[in-house]
Amino acid sequence: MGFQKKKVLLAPLDPVHDIGLKMIKRGLDQAGHETILLPPDYSPEEIIKAAMDHNVDVILISRTLGYRVAEILGSFIDLAEASGLREKVKIGIGGMAIRPELAAELGFDAGFGPGTTVEEAVAFVEGREYVKESKGKNKIKKDMTEKYDYTFKNKTIEKLLSTIADGIIEYVKDKTTPGIERAKIREKMLEINDEAELLQLKKEYANLCDDIVKAYYTKGTLKEKTRQLSREELEALTTYLERLKNKMNPEYLQYTETNPIVFIQYGTGCPFMDIAHIKTCEAWGADGVVHFDPSWGARTEGFYEGYITHEEDGSIITYENLKIIKEALMPSSLWQVRAHRGLNTPETVLLAGKVGADLTKINIAYGSLGGGTDPERLTVDAVAAIKYAARFGMPFDVVTNEELCGVPAYKAFAGMLIVTMLGLKLGARPILQPLFCYSPEVMIGGQMSDNYVDFNAAKVMALRSILNAPIWCGAPIGFLTQTEDRVQSSLSTALHASLASSLGVDGISIASADEAYSGGPISAAARIDTLRATQAAFRFFGHTQIVPTKNSEVWASQIVEGIEKTLEAVVKNGNFVDALYKGLLGSREEGAYPGRAGRGTVKAYTFWG
Amino acid sequence: MSKALEKVMDAVDIETFLICDNEEEGKKISLQMMKELGFKDASIVFIQHSGPGARVRVRGYVYKPGDRYNWLFEKNN
Repeated sequence: MGFQKKKVLLAPLDPVHDIGLKMIKRGLDQAGHETILLPPDYSPEEIIKAAMDHNVDVILISRTLGYRVAEILGSFIDLAEASGLREKVKIGIGGMAIRPELAAELGFDAGFGPGTTVEEAVAFVEGREYVKESKGKNKIKKDMTEKYDYTFKNKTIEKLLSTIADGIIEYVKDKTTPGIERAKIREKMLEINDEAELLQLKKEYANLCDDIVKAYYTKGTLKEKTRQLSREELEALTTYLERLKNKMNPEYLQYTETNPIVFIQYGTGCPFMDIAHIKTCEAWGADGVVHFDPSWGARTEGFYEGYITHEEDGSIITYENLKIIKEALMPSSLWQVRAHRGLNTPETVLLAGKVGADLTKINIAYGSLGGGTDPERLTVDAVAAIKYAARFGMPFDVVTNEELCGVPAYKAFAGMLIVTMLGLKLGARPILQPLFCYSPEVMIGGQMSDNYVDFNAAKVMALRSILNAPIWCGAPIGFLTQTEDRVQSSLSTALHASLASSLGVDGISIASADEAYSGGPISAAARIDTLRATQAAFRFFGHTQIVPTKNSEVWASQIVEGIEKTLEAVVKNGNFVDALYKGLLGSREEGAYPGRAGRGTVKAYTFWG
Repeated sequence: MSKALEKVMDAVDIETFLICDNEEEGKKISLQMMKELGFKDASIVFIQHSGPGARVRVRGYVYKPGDRYNWLFEKNN
């Protein structure tokens, strides 16, 4: 024991409750102090007498019931003073009815309110400052892919995927797009210092952009509701972050070593508000953050430059915007920049890699069937993007959001596995991202009419039976189960998080309690709600497993069977891009429409030399 | 804007229970309440009426993305 041994009297000044004092007694005993615990319902006079009889150094009083609390505690202190005990003995008071301000006002040496730890009480007894242990401060950045070797357990599916992925690589080898060419120019722009050369490159870049972006490079104008952030604002951000650095003492969400990494999604439209939300979420325990870009940005050829804010959902991707966000992150925070849809996929991954993102997101099937981009264009762009991801060592998740359009899970998974195999062949590290959602498929089919557990479990079981790869459930978990009510929304998120944890997945993306609210931007407080709920759920379940019914096994088999049949159809069709147009990975009847953005823009490689 | 409101990161949610006959009345009272409290940009995030009244979550935005956030310029933050 590093401190002098103390004699401590623990007395519940309460008719019944003394559990807190019992816990503190155990902590003090373990620390080597001598303790005397009085039973409940002693009067102040009896407690003072016991303290004098035992000649104690410290008295710890507890009070749970709130009625007459000030009066009773006041009379206790008066008695302690009258008896001469007050001068010789340290007196602390704690319990549900206690607030530190009240204790100080009444003349106690310390007041411990709800949430006080045993360590805090022991520190008081030993007369040392209590330093809250923060697991969060020692957080380390995790790599979701490190324990996976991507071995296929299902050899039939492996063979089918291999054929399709080889076909894609062959298909794109002599093709290019404005998106690929812009990424090449952007890379040169980021690397050269010569002004004249830079100007020339900007001209070349602008020529490959849509008019709305070209106008920035030629006239310096931005689209409406969009503006450059001022120097004053940038300086204020630097100061804000510098001050914040010393105040960060992050929470830790996981209660067991098997709880998954927790991501939040941001994209308020303003990089400053994004940073404010990110820092708030980091403080409340988020392990990673996902950058959402605007939907118009995905359908527009080319990126702006500079520090740009706008008043719509999704934060504009520029090198500078990404850079200030990256610089604001805690070293342990994982950061994903999504590139799964749209006309700027290669450049997005390039910028993410250059700035230092940890993860990206690519999926040809979703991006072209549910994200609005032409299948051929996205196929050619995605291969280039995956190559960048491999080059920068950035794992990418393959999200299956086409399920939200109505595509059955097995077809969405077939598309996901094709991109996964493509990623492996191109030297990247893909992450499977099944949705934990109340999808149109299950609304119609009734797989969730009894519970939300079985079908979500079936998805994970099916994927596990196919290959040994990381799984990151998204995005966000519980999608379409949340309402505008913050309690229901947070609870639904927390339950899905617990299910994901029970299934042993590696990561989850969670929504805020504003998930179902579409009337305005998400608030910081709504983000904290679901983080706290997730933390509480992890604590509640610990290592306990959620046991799905037998239905999950049946559905898992059906999903695997469906994946196999879908892949066979794609192989039989002979051309992946054509299979996308034909609806083999999600048909119009199912709600999947081949996108039109960028149609006709794929050219033979020689077009741009 | 009051000094205290300047410290709000983005929005103030008021969660309460309103005595009213139906959801429509609850919506009117909610927005009237926010107006009286001085919120110019208010919206109803959640409302559910049952029995004696409506459970509401009403939001007043202090700052929206793209605004000039006064807390960013406050030296003591």
